[in-house]
Amino acid sequence: MSGRTIAERLFSGRLIVCVGCGGVGKTTVAAALGIEAARAGRRTLVLTIDPARRLADALGVELSGEAREIPLPALERSSGSLSALMLDMKRTFDGLVERFAENAEIRERIFANSIYQHVSDALAGSAEYSAMERVYQVAESGDYDLIVVDTPPAQHALDFLEAPQRLIDFLDSRWVGLLIHPAFSASRLGFRLFQRGAQRILRLLEGVTGLAFLEDLSEFLLAFEGMAAGFRERATEVRALLLGPESRFVLVTGPEPESVRHAQEFFDRLEGFEVPLEGLIANRVRQWPEGSAFAVASEPSRAELEQVFTERGESRDAAAASARATLEMLASYARRVARDTDSLDVLRPRAAALGCFLREIPELDTDVHDLEGLTRIGRHVLGPASPTHKAGAAS
Amino acid sequence: MPAASTPLPLLDHRLLVVSGKGGAGKTTLTATLALWAARGGRRVMVVEMGPKTQVPNLLNPGHAEVGYEGAEILPGLHVMRADPFAALAEYLEIRIGMRPVVERLLEFEGFRQLMQAAPGWRELITLGKVWHLEQMREAGAPRYDLLLVDAPATGHGVRFLDVPRVVASALRSGPLRANSLRVEALIADPARTLLLPVALAEELPVRETVELVERARDGLSIHVDRLVLNAVEPAPFPTERNDLDERLASLPGDLQVQGLPPMATLSACARHLRRRHELNQHYATKLSHATGLPTIQLPYLAGGVRGPESLEKLLEPLAEVAE
Repeated sequence: MSGRTIAERLFSGRLIVCVGCGGVGKTTVAAALGIEAARAGRRTLVLTIDPARRLADALGVELSGEAREIPLPALERSSGSLSALMLDMKRTFDGLVERFAENAEIRERIFANSIYQHVSDALAGSAEYSAMERVYQVAESGDYDLIVVDTPPAQHALDFLEAPQRLIDFLDSRWVGLLIHPAFSASRLGFRLFQRGAQRILRLLEGVTGLAFLEDLSEFLLAFEGMAAGFRERATEVRALLLGPESRFVLVTGPEPESVRHAQEFFDRLEGFEVPLEGLIANRVRQWPEGSAFAVASEPSRAELEQVFTERGESRDAAAASARATLEMLASYARRVARDTDSLDVLRPRAAALGCFLREIPELDTDVHDLEGLTRIGRHVLGPASPTHKAGAAS
Repeated sequence: MPAASTPLPLLDHRLLVVSGKGGAGKTTLTATLALWAARGGRRVMVVEMGPKTQVPNLLNPGHAEVGYEGAEILPGLHVMRADPFAALAEYLEIRIGMRPVVERLLEFEGFRQLMQAAPGWRELITLGKVWHLEQMREAGAPRYDLLLVDAPATGHGVRFLDVPRVVASALRSGPLRANSLRVEALIADPARTLLLPVALAEELPVRETVELVERARDGLSIHVDRLVLNAVEPAPFPTERNDLDERLASLPGDLQVQGLPPMATLSACARHLRRRHELNQHYATKLSHATGLPTIQLPYLAGGVRGPESLEKLLEPLAEVAE
């Protein structure tokens, strides 16, 4: 597999799933990969969750719940194209209710239910479920060769895969059944129909919570009952697509201790999953401009440096100040580089053990706010094995 | 909604809710505040909400993790982990009084499954525990002078504070409604409670902090009157050489001094540090303009946060500006 370029490894499937904890630049990486895939001739869709304004601006369009084509210069002669859409979670979830509700009455009851209104967006797993649902819809449409998915920010990257299952388990659980049936009889008498243990527990909950809450909850769950089968079936299909042979997972991380800790946890948890992890992308890594390390200077360097400044016409005192400031600056730069190198050294063997690539994107001088910036990010991800960073490439 | 009166000194609150994105330094700030308060003779309880406690190890390296029962890490400084199931057990026991029944309920597989998926109760029960801690008395005085809550990193930490109100409004009656209203009253009391957002001077954290402050002002009842900006980059060059990058750029790029990279590399490094510093300043300014709130700035620690010595470095600027 090592003979193939990173572009070949990533763009040969139908799906690229970017996972990682929040704040590491996942959305930016997803957009950059989308651009490169389009340039490589693929009809590409980038599905983002909550892009920064700046990113929407960089792509040059107003993102919405519907796919929009993004004009890329110099793409006219290629078969590739780039579109983007932003996930509207509430709408996707409402859409699911509309599709799977048995009839209009049940649908209206769900929408009107106080629990649905209060918590539908907080309902465990609904964000992830919506994201997966949308991925499935666009994949089914056949309009795209490749879909790049930016996953919702989560404490753990794999929540994306687990949360929908938890939602389904919940809808499926015996407890939900127990809660639903009292509402069938539309009275508290319904409780009597239960086996004694369950009855006692429900009574207990009733005492603690107040019955009204339970009634709302059971009505909510009753309305969902007929939909559980549809939800479950769909979630199974989506999961098969995400974990199938056409899917490539990319873990985006940063060099900060927090991100590295998350990445390690991700690797720890991978064991229970058949996740097709293709690579690891470390974003905003502080590197030497030339890619090689330098010893931090000593007294002779300072004297010689002072000499250089004197020759440029600085007074003795001024040159001494310049030389001192230069060495301090260099030492502070070196500390940053050392810190990030140490951080990533922890992840390197773990990526290698799984046959994953590890690419580093250097910390740039500015935020990415245009197509050019995204292109630079993309090139760092896909570039040759030992990238040469020109001075200020980070510039 | 600027406060009419002078803001209450940070440590004179009963409850500080430290909120921010993962990586913004929430836990570090929480630990530093705890250290500061305990040194001033206050009895402090840190409530951690993650799956593992981090504050004990930060304050006292090698200290084991702490559970729901809590532990005194340093004199007067307690830490506990707000495990929702443990809090639920405690709550049910107080309400029902029958420990065996509660234990059977919590061991019941179906019940756990239901609770795993059910939204909101974790937040509610945890805040209920915080309320309980605030109420605790010893010889007539509060058991803890200051409670520090390290709010969850996911989402905005806002939903978490909103839960008691949502529950109170969703319930028509019952003890849970009464409890929710009591918790809500504590959160909404500016004389006791303060939301302390912590941000980094970067695009997304700033945007999210601005949203957090807007939510706190418009929707939530919690008081917010200052911010903490963490890891603020120091000026990269001394004042008398603030044009160092340009000075270096004016030298021949291939010129090399013994033991140093060529001038082109030196000037690239200098330019990079300057631009990152400017970007940092830009977002710091943006944050204070967008929120109109005073900002406590904490310095970037080049070596990372490692143990109590790092906290000492943060304690000084914090104590200096925050009083």
